[in-house]
Amino acid sequence: MVAIDVNDVSKRYGDCQALSHISLQVEQGEIFGLIGPDGAGKSTLFRILTSLLLPDSGSASIEGFDVVKDYMEIRKRIGYMPGRFSLYQDLSVEENLDFFATIFGTTIQANYDSIKEIYSQIEPFKERKAGKLSGGMKQKLALCCVLVHKPSVLFLDEPTTGVDAVSRKEFWSMLYRIRSGGVTIFVSTPYMDEAARCDRIALIQQGRIIDNGTPQQIVEKYPYTLLGIAGHPIYPLLKFVRGCSGVLSCFAFGAEHHAAIDTALTNADDLKKKIEAAGFMDCVVREIKPGIEDCFMQLAKGGNNGK
Amino acid sequence: MTLVYLLEKEFKQFFRDPGLPKMAIAFPVLMMLVFPFAVSMEIRNINLVVVDSDRSTVSQRLIETCTSSGYFNLVDVCDDPVYAMQLMDMNKADAILTIESDFDEQVERGDGAAMGIKVNTINGTKGSIGSAYLGNCIRRFYTDYKQADMGTIAPVIDVSAKYYYNQYMDYKVFMVPALIVIAITMLTGFLPALNIVSEKETGTIEQINVTPVKRSIFILCKLIPYWLVAFFVLAACLVIARLVFGYSCAGSLTLLFLFTAFHIMVTAGLGLLISNYSDNAQQAMFVTWFFMMIFMLVSGIFTPISSMPEWAKAITYLNPMRYYADAMRCIYLKGSSSLDVWYDAVGLLSIGTVMVTWAVLSYKKTV
Repeated sequence: MVAIDVNDVSKRYGDCQALSHISLQVEQGEIFGLIGPDGAGKSTLFRILTSLLLPDSGSASIEGFDVVKDYMEIRKRIGYMPGRFSLYQDLSVEENLDFFATIFGTTIQANYDSIKEIYSQIEPFKERKAGKLSGGMKQKLALCCVLVHKPSVLFLDEPTTGVDAVSRKEFWSMLYRIRSGGVTIFVSTPYMDEAARCDRIALIQQGRIIDNGTPQQIVEKYPYTLLGIAGHPIYPLLKFVRGCSGVLSCFAFGAEHHAAIDTALTNADDLKKKIEAAGFMDCVVREIKPGIEDCFMQLAKGGNNGK
Repeated sequence: MTLVYLLEKEFKQFFRDPGLPKMAIAFPVLMMLVFPFAVSMEIRNINLVVVDSDRSTVSQRLIETCTSSGYFNLVDVCDDPVYAMQLMDMNKADAILTIESDFDEQVERGDGAAMGIKVNTINGTKGSIGSAYLGNCIRRFYTDYKQADMGTIAPVIDVSAKYYYNQYMDYKVFMVPALIVIAITMLTGFLPALNIVSEKETGTIEQINVTPVKRSIFILCKLIPYWLVAFFVLAACLVIARLVFGYSCAGSLTLLFLFTAFHIMVTAGLGLLISNYSDNAQQAMFVTWFFMMIFMLVSGIFTPISSMPEWAKAITYLNPMRYYADAMRCIYLKGSSSLDVWYDAVGLLSIGTVMVTWAVLSYKKTV
């Protein structure tokens, strides 16, 4: 069953085309990741789906309810966690939770089961003001507040932005537990490494979906051979590799550069010789498997980046 | 149920705020204890210099009449008009009275005597009121003199003025209802607007917007707390006026509260409207301040509307404070009944309806 159905949705803010002709389907009970850089239109799509914003054209529905016509029905069924922590800082943990339970016409006690696992971690601090919580605890509280009315679809807009690595890992394991209860989770992130944790993903760039599918499918579609290149000095090396024949694109990835090559023109050994001949030190060139980020860069480059 | 809970939350936040509850108490107290004295339009201590070229007993009596009125402060009596002018230039004199050398003869003969009055109008009010006072003193001196010394029965027209509703022309009585108007307008204009904008700034408004809470309920829960705060402030002001100054409301208290309720609807509506169009507290503050200033200046609180030019008068019809201030003064000082101030109610209610409707419509649950 399709939980979220987006059909040809476009949205424009003045001169800026925030979304153009977005279509995607999210199945019930899956974690669907919307992956893209800042400004790609992720939050705009979230706002349209959570009935906070009207699309200029196209239609979208959540569990069969239209986001424009049946918005009241949708608001009862969804939980939306915006990117920024937005709970009442001057109310305590318990008061915040109680507040959100009450405006949905329920109580903490009635839905304690659905939030128990997360809430039990912050329950010792329930008297504390939300503004005085640490980042990770704020995030848990925010998650509790969106879960307290038992939504069947969760919208999490960049939930892990600004959260440390350990808390991020913990957060994802919480999401898997929530999913096991049958909840559909629509999550956005600018972190490519989180994409692999989703059941399915869509890559979004400048308001367009450039690809979607399971992380596996997207990686398999990568058309080139990819080399990991290390050496010193690192930045001149990037420029040098970009200039070599047979190199289609080359991007910096931490300590390594990832270069897509045309195997008809060059290979790892050939490239290594060229690099060493040019005087770079500690040179390592190896064939690697592409990640989501490589796919994203390749899809997003539009013919000019990285070369 | 939702409304009750939303209200509970508003009150929790209000009382938890480090400044707001204190301000709600300090504001009326300050308004009522300090401003009735400070914001006085009564002119006293006008520094007077007399250029007396006559130096007769008659001129001496004139000077005495002036100084004994209590409004003037005799700085100097001199012969030299240039010196007197220098004093005014140095800001030591507010008014110069020039008495000609044959003043006593002219008065004895019963002819009109020529005198000069020069006033410093750097402060316009002080200048014009000062010259009027001085004119009055001279007239009083003249009639007194005729009757007492000459023994002639001059055809004197005795005009006695009686001040109604504020018998002793006590400026403080006049200002009490006006200060209540200002206090209520400031509190209810700013607080709801800033409250909504702060929910915008923290992003909580978006969280509320994805819940099934209706916008009318949400707006209502923003208005009601400040409605109650305003009533508290009104009651506090009335009690202070009673205890400290011994003034009491001449008319019906119910009417006073009713008009306050109407006025809050207007100012809070305006506040909400402004917050809907502002993205942050600074914008909301500035725009609210702008409107409050205009409302106050053309409300008739400080300067009578009847003396404004026609175009300014026309503007005052759009000013809710005009109606509220008028009603408050009429009820408090004069004891007017609802029949006397019905047009103020109509004015407030029509502006209020426009404001609130606009505020609710413009509060789209889309940010």
